Amino acid sequence: MNNQTSLYAGRARVCHFASAALALTSLLLISHSAKGDETCSSPYMARIEGQEEFVYVWTLGVEGLGDGADKLVVVDAKPGSPMYGKVIYSKSVEGRNEAHHGGFTDDRRQLWLAGLETSKIFIFDVHSNPAKPALIKTIDNFEKVTGGAVGPHGAYALPGRVLIPALSNAKDKGGRTALVEFSNEGNYIATHWLPTKDTAGVAGAEFADGYGYDARVLPRKNALLTSSFTGWNNYTRNFGDLVKDPQAMKQFGATMVMWDFHTRQPKKVFQVPGAPLEIRWAWGEKHNYAFTATALTSKLWLCYEDENGQWQAKEVATIGGQGGVLPVDISLSADDRTVFVDCFGDGKVRVFDVSNPQQPKQIHEKQIGKQLNMVSQSWDGKRLYFTSSLLARWDKTGDDNEQFLRAYSWDGKELKSKFDLDFTALKLGRPHHMLFGATNIGS
Amino acid sequence: MNLRHFITMLALVGVLPSVAGGDADYVPPVPGTYNLPVIKPAGDGEVIDSQNHSLHLRELTHGRVTVMSFIYTRCAATKACPFATGVLRQLHQESQNDPALSKGMRLISISFDPAMDTPQRMADYSTLARSERPAAEWKFLTTRSQAQLQPILESYGQAVNKRANPNDPQGPLYHILRVFLIDANGNVRNIYSSDTLDPRLVLADVKTLLKERGGSASNVPAVLR
Repeated sequence: MNNQTSLYAGRARVCHFASAALALTSLLLISHSAKGDETCSSPYMARIEGQEEFVYVWTLGVEGLGDGADKLVVVDAKPGSPMYGKVIYSKSVEGRNEAHHGGFTDDRRQLWLAGLETSKIFIFDVHSNPAKPALIKTIDNFEKVTGGAVGPHGAYALPGRVLIPALSNAKDKGGRTALVEFSNEGNYIATHWLPTKDTAGVAGAEFADGYGYDARVLPRKNALLTSSFTGWNNYTRNFGDLVKDPQAMKQFGATMVMWDFHTRQPKKVFQVPGAPLEIRWAWGEKHNYAFTATALTSKLWLCYEDENGQWQAKEVATIGGQGGVLPVDISLSADDRTVFVDCFGDGKVRVFDVSNPQQPKQIHEKQIGKQLNMVSQSWDGKRLYFTSSLLARWDKTGDDNEQFLRAYSWDGKELKSKFDLDFTALKLGRPHHMLFGATNIGS
Repeated sequence: MNLRHFITMLALVGVLPSVAGGDADYVPPVPGTYNLPVIKPAGDGEVIDSQNHSLHLRELTHGRVTVMSFIYTRCAATKACPFATGVLRQLHQESQNDPALSKGMRLISISFDPAMDTPQRMADYSTLARSERPAAEWKFLTTRSQAQLQPILESYGQAVNKRANPNDPQGPLYHILRVFLIDANGNVRNIYSSDTLDPRLVLADVKTLLKERGGSASNVPAVLR
């Protein structure tokens, strides 16, 4: 018997005992499960106990509006608070960086906020005073230390470290890019370039484009899944000009990649045309699948493990009928039954019943604004928050350039407005990624 | 929960594959087929062992591949300290059958509750490590004071808070589960949480580091050309 086998040699002998213990464990975990956290947060992260108290909004600065700088905006979300639904604090960072996504460290003590254009990452302490986060460090040498990755997209908590999927590279500022790891202290650890056609040992390598966007893990399957968008040249370009350039429009990701998470080695490339963006793994104990939406083709895709234990990807629904509505952020409920799909093109959220993940069915849609990008959902599925901005140069113009944070309640059938913040009238900027904060952090 | 009951629970947890990852459904990697980049230097600080001898932690984080778990003995959260100690116990048992592991690996359980976890209590706790056959060294450490402990916690990024309810059935302290893999040169090479503390993965990582001994880890990134 080899060592790895012998590790489990006692399993059979204790199966009855173990079953009882696991049942007890399950009860303990259920009774202590948090109810307030975002459904799309990293599984490695400490959770909010109770309800979210704050919504942190990473906001793009707008020239001539307020101080013009990117900023972290804090909105009070405590029910019954006299400041409920109001901005209670904002902290500007240096300049405009194409503020995009962010994420907490696993202990939830820091919030990392990334700038796509300058490749700066701003690290805030959200532990000492969650209502007034303090900027404690700026990573301003991302390109240099990572070996040429640029466009840090967000931050995904891993144990003691942060995984940052980038969008581009310094060499040609196209879509080839990497996953990068930093320690929670903000020190560089490693760069993992996305696979290309030359990468050995990867199934489907012939389809590989080397592009990246989101990166998320299903721990019990040791599965890391990445998606793909476009490079610096495209996401910093005026959208109207971009869509008129056929060559530029070819420079969008058309793949997802399954990795061995522990070894950080790519294993399989899937053809997913049309820029697959946000990845949402299901939470159920037996649910071995994730959803994504393709921005340019308006499709909902499922990446799933088949009956032979092989990972597959397939299109499972059209979003918004024919013509394309530019689906962007998506949110899967904690019970894996409902997906909310934000559509930038027409400003609607479309809600799908995905209790059968192979056959999603749209059950509701609502006009949220004239443009719509991000959605964050509470763990109990009762509260959703929406923001408007996609990218500084891709947002709509004129009267269509609404910039808002809008909060809704969800009862399983319809969305009802709870509060509405006009970020232009408040001279804040373009609100983008939202993350939940609280003073009570649990297990 | 008294210590005897606690240790009984540990023994139970120790024979389970993994509480948090009990449904872990993947093939663990082959040792030596992947890289473990340096995350940071392992922290130092003054500690005391279960015989009440003072020593510096760095004396125990060099020379062998070390698996170090921050714990407190009053913890009753099944996903936390009992689980971590159960995994270390599995590694310890594994080393009884593997001379390379027995000689090359060290296990450390270090308390972040110095007021309660005295050297004597850690000695009681260490009955877990008793073995009739040669096995990897397993040290049970604590500190003389919170003042001695705090810089160690900070250097490892180990967050610990008091729970609002000191009588919480899971124990009076809240903490992120952190277990550190440290190479023979004193560098942290992996950090495990309750979701990644699969004994098969830890064992593969330990063997990966044992294979590279004599070599040097490099974090110089591959540049896109």
